[in-house]
Amino acid sequence: MRVRNTLIWIVMLFILVGMLLPLWWMLLGAFSKDFTATSLTGNISGFRFTFDNLMSILEVKNFTRSILNSVVVGSIVTAGNLVFCLMVGYALARFRFVGKRFLFISVIAVLMIPVHIVMIPLFLLISATGLYDTYGALILPFLVNPLGVLLVAQYIRELPPDLEEAARIDGAGEFRILISLVAPMCKPVLAVLTVQVFMTNWNSFLLPFILTSSDTMRTLPVMLAMLQGYQQIDWPQLFAASTVSAIPVIAVYLAFQRHIVSGITAGALKS
Amino acid sequence: MSRRKFSHSDGIKLAYLSPWLITLLLFWLYPLAHSFYLSLTDFRLLGDQTTFIGLENYVRLLGDADFLKALANTAIFVVGTIPFTTVIALILALLVNRGIAGAKVFRSAYFIPSITSLVVIALIFTNLYSRGGYLTLLCDLVGISTPERGFLFSEKTALLAIMAMDIWIASGYYMLLFLAALKSIPEEHYEAASLDGAAGWSKFLRITLPQLRPMFLYVVLINTIKSFQVFVEIFIMTKGGPLNSTLTVVYFVYDRGLHKFDMGYASAAAYILVVIIMIFALMQMKLFGISRSTAE
Repeated sequence: MRVRNTLIWIVMLFILVGMLLPLWWMLLGAFSKDFTATSLTGNISGFRFTFDNLMSILEVKNFTRSILNSVVVGSIVTAGNLVFCLMVGYALARFRFVGKRFLFISVIAVLMIPVHIVMIPLFLLISATGLYDTYGALILPFLVNPLGVLLVAQYIRELPPDLEEAARIDGAGEFRILISLVAPMCKPVLAVLTVQVFMTNWNSFLLPFILTSSDTMRTLPVMLAMLQGYQQIDWPQLFAASTVSAIPVIAVYLAFQRHIVSGITAGALKS
Repeated sequence: MSRRKFSHSDGIKLAYLSPWLITLLLFWLYPLAHSFYLSLTDFRLLGDQTTFIGLENYVRLLGDADFLKALANTAIFVVGTIPFTTVIALILALLVNRGIAGAKVFRSAYFIPSITSLVVIALIFTNLYSRGGYLTLLCDLVGISTPERGFLFSEKTALLAIMAMDIWIASGYYMLLFLAALKSIPEEHYEAASLDGAAGWSKFLRITLPQLRPMFLYVVLINTIKSFQVFVEIFIMTKGGPLNSTLTVVYFVYDRGLHKFDMGYASAAAYILVVIIMIFALMQMKLFGISRSTAE
């Protein structure tokens, strides 16, 4: 048994190395002195550490702006989702109304319909409303995440309604009940939502790419794609920029793993 | 459980539901309808005049070698990655589930590719797959011949290279789903089997696999829906080339619609994809009921 477990452990270690090697390669490229714009392999035997590559991306026009854009857009979209998913999720869990089943199905359908399908009409709509190439284009379509609505609705349905009813008898207003009674009880699911929405937004590429055009409106992933699009790829710089994009997400993931994992499996296991 | 029924006013209900109603109408239903209308016209952005042409775009698409190539490539991508992703994910889940020291660390690490930005991963692999990059060097070292300009510049290897990368990315994600399913198998099942004298493999075949069946189906379906949409990898790594060998349906829609502005035609291509995905989405809803179809 011991021998067998050791063998399995070694196999798992090999897989771990395989899973992390490409990212380790990115870090090496980002922080190595011996990695030049044209060389793809650098010199791993004599690794010499440097911040130069990281510093060089600060000189790329609008790079810091793209970080700022990603942070601002991500924060507003996340905050919006917290409020709106709570409202809609609560309504779907507690209210009785005509067309409730249709609304539920619409949430799930939107979850499954790829956003790519609507990219052309969405582009036209955003252009027609004058939102093209503004923060509005990067924020408004993403304020109510269907997965968030479902997670909140499922969570609230499991909570006993007694407290809300007691508060209602005491004469508390509906919005107060939602904000000061229901919201605190939903803390776990709202935490899941915060991490999920922010990460998804931070990594999203297609829509921010097609809904903006000027350099000052680029989000980080779009900026990365632009950097790569230049005739001569500067790998150390590109890897340094990639590191700036990837590391915060990996750090957040390692810190809030529980929330991320439960967000992913919640839907799949619910019966 | 009979409770005193409290009924909210319609105003409150509408107010609470309005964020979703607005999002649904403005950003999904209207675009979906508009897209369908466009698909029946020859609408071009910056074009002079739009005429209604019925199903002509659809007919043209079915005779368009590029579109058929995109459809075929997408099918190859779906059929060629999912079996590998699923089996690898299951193996990873079984390994991690054995409760060996450090299993949690392994689980966390395996999942990292899934949460990392696809743009970043595609960039790293563009480097690794280039001539002179580590993957080509490694192949040279063990004597496997590699394309002259690297994996992404050869018709024969470009799509395969992207597929391999996607299997690498997605395995950790589906591992988590399998892991959750493994943990929900009641311990008594195994105890009962042990009393019957079952051990190791026989337990796996008699209990674990049958219990995992629903999750298997679920994983295959959502992965199918996701894989039909492959785009970012293609955009970053190959732009559909060389010679259309990595052209996928979504890339085709993007290229014709938002690059060449032939929007009516591109909308028709998008709608063909809607129909294909709808079939799988409906299967998913039928098999798992609407409340279970909630993982993204």
